[in-house]
Amino acid sequence: MTLFLQSLISGILIGGVYALIGIGLTIIFGVMRVINFAHGDIMMVGMYMTYFLFTLFGIDPFVSVLVTIPLMFVFGAILQKLFINRILGALPQNQILLTIGLGLIMSNSMMLAFTSDYKILTTSYSSSSYRLAGLSVSKPLAISFLITVVITAALYRFLMKTDTGQAIRATAQDREAAQLMGINVKWMSILAFGIGASMAGTAGALISPTYYIFPQVGSAFTLKAFVITVLGGMGSIVGATLGGVIIGVVESMGAAYISSDWKDVVVFAIFLLVLLVKPSGLMGTSRT
Amino acid sequence: MKKIALAALALTLAVPGVSLAAKVKIGFINTITGAEAPIGENLTNGVTMALEDLKKKGIDVELIKEDDTGKPEKSLSAFEKLATRDNVAGVVGPYTSACANAVASQADRYKVPQVIPAAAKEEITRKGYKYVFRLNAPADVYSSVLMDAIMTVDKPKTIAYVYANTDFGISTVKTAKEYARKLGIREVADEKYLKGAPDFRSTLTKIKTLKPDLVFMVSYEVDAITLMRQSREIRLTPKAFLGAGAGFTTAQFLAQKMISNLVFSSTQWTEDVNWPGARNFYNRYKAKFGKEPSYHAACAYEAMIIMAETAAKNGGNREKTRAGLKSGQWNGIMGEVKFSDYAGYTNQNNHPMLVQQVQNGRYETVYPAKFATKNPIYPFKW
Repeated sequence: MTLFLQSLISGILIGGVYALIGIGLTIIFGVMRVINFAHGDIMMVGMYMTYFLFTLFGIDPFVSVLVTIPLMFVFGAILQKLFINRILGALPQNQILLTIGLGLIMSNSMMLAFTSDYKILTTSYSSSSYRLAGLSVSKPLAISFLITVVITAALYRFLMKTDTGQAIRATAQDREAAQLMGINVKWMSILAFGIGASMAGTAGALISPTYYIFPQVGSAFTLKAFVITVLGGMGSIVGATLGGVIIGVVESMGAAYISSDWKDVVVFAIFLLVLLVKPSGLMGTSRT
Repeated sequence: MKKIALAALALTLAVPGVSLAAKVKIGFINTITGAEAPIGENLTNGVTMALEDLKKKGIDVELIKEDDTGKPEKSLSAFEKLATRDNVAGVVGPYTSACANAVASQADRYKVPQVIPAAAKEEITRKGYKYVFRLNAPADVYSSVLMDAIMTVDKPKTIAYVYANTDFGISTVKTAKEYARKLGIREVADEKYLKGAPDFRSTLTKIKTLKPDLVFMVSYEVDAITLMRQSREIRLTPKAFLGAGAGFTTAQFLAQKMISNLVFSSTQWTEDVNWPGARNFYNRYKAKFGKEPSYHAACAYEAMIIMAETAAKNGGNREKTRAGLKSGQWNGIMGEVKFSDYAGYTNQNNHPMLVQQVQNGRYETVYPAKFATKNPIYPFKW
């Protein structure tokens, strides 16, 4: 029983961070229909930002999200303005090439600037935990989960309640119709990519105290983000949140009850099952 | 007087191999980019220092570096290029087991002598390849030396294995299991993990419920830190944590004081071992590169020295170089080196591995007794 509860808690907590990565990707896809293969690399940039804010200025990784979010927003917006906006109408493979290329440029520039050394962020709570009735709840994961919840809730509110949020959603639903209604879709795209990038950067910041940082760290997370997003339904924020938590829990349970090298098999089996039953993903609506 | 000097000079120039101007072409396959790059950098630096020292001895090496990014197929094409297009006298590398294993199969085909500095997979020198030489101890020693060290202080009953799902991890644990069985230690868990995974908590919790005496881990680089951090989080407390190789022997691991204390690890080399020049190598490396060398750096250094000296002595002739490696004997920063055939191995240096333990923020050599600087501290506590 302890094992079950322990795995469940760990799974949900790590799933929170996964969700954040997935949400960023899903917003970008929703608004622009561009699959951002540089997503993990953007996350990596956020990780380096966190690392240097911590080592140079002594800002705690969890506090540094206050700096990371706006900076990464600007970074994402610039990427969108300079590059992505130009290929919105292009063939999908060209869009994929562009984002992969941007990702490669990011990871290799980081390698040139900071070498390929692993950077490890050590905080006083990096390996500590809360104890609850025989269970241990990782302190850094618990805090990052709370931050994820706050950010997701705020983002959801922004998209649902504000005019700008509605404009973003309108653009996501039908770009041309939105444009005809007088929405500046180019601006919405910049906003969406900015939000996506800041979500990825935040996820990077939140995972930094327990993980490690190196220029190639992104690719693994790009794949994960992609699976989460497809599982939840491309473009759906609730779907990505759900997808993230499901993947977190399945990984954790798979490792506990089957074996750690089979956990990805379990993840992908469930992934395929969901797609078989519901090809548009858990919360997705099918589009043509 | 002048005449004699001139005659001496002419003589040295005339005799191939002793010539001062000998320039020998050596290939070096390493992981310069990719996930293994941080360890690859240690090998690169080790080789850089070797070239300096060789130059002082009058051996001028034309080094051709190839990056395999840690992928066997790239390693193979790099090796083919070195063998056919660059016409090197010999090859040092590659670093990882998977790459070295792939390349070893081609060394005999192209008849190019190869010195493997730090790859541990046993098969590499078990297939009877004539042109493949290995300096470091193979994977079975990583585990046996650790258990031998523990057996000097206790009789543990159970063991759990947690290891990276890589060639190195799998082959190390396979032999660890055989050795543990021989010692009568029962296996309670066998957990492979995907390299770079961010979350091991449920795996570790599962192991905690099984209460093993020993937890045996094989990890590259920073996975070791993630594993130990999460072990501390859930308070997994065996009598000893045994770390075989790579990730448990780095300066970065050592710097994580909260989680590295009292962890045992096996290593090919330490700076405090009494092999000639080991301490000096450490000091020079640190001064030159601003960081501490891992054992890989020492392995690569010695491998390059051995390969270049032998190749230079034989005028870059591949066949003679192979014979020279086979019959030669060296004594440098890796202790005594001789490539011999034993226990199913061919051209394998029977290198004595060391066990070190983190004590008060330092790696201390604790086993074998003749190389030890401190006694092991046992059992483990957080």
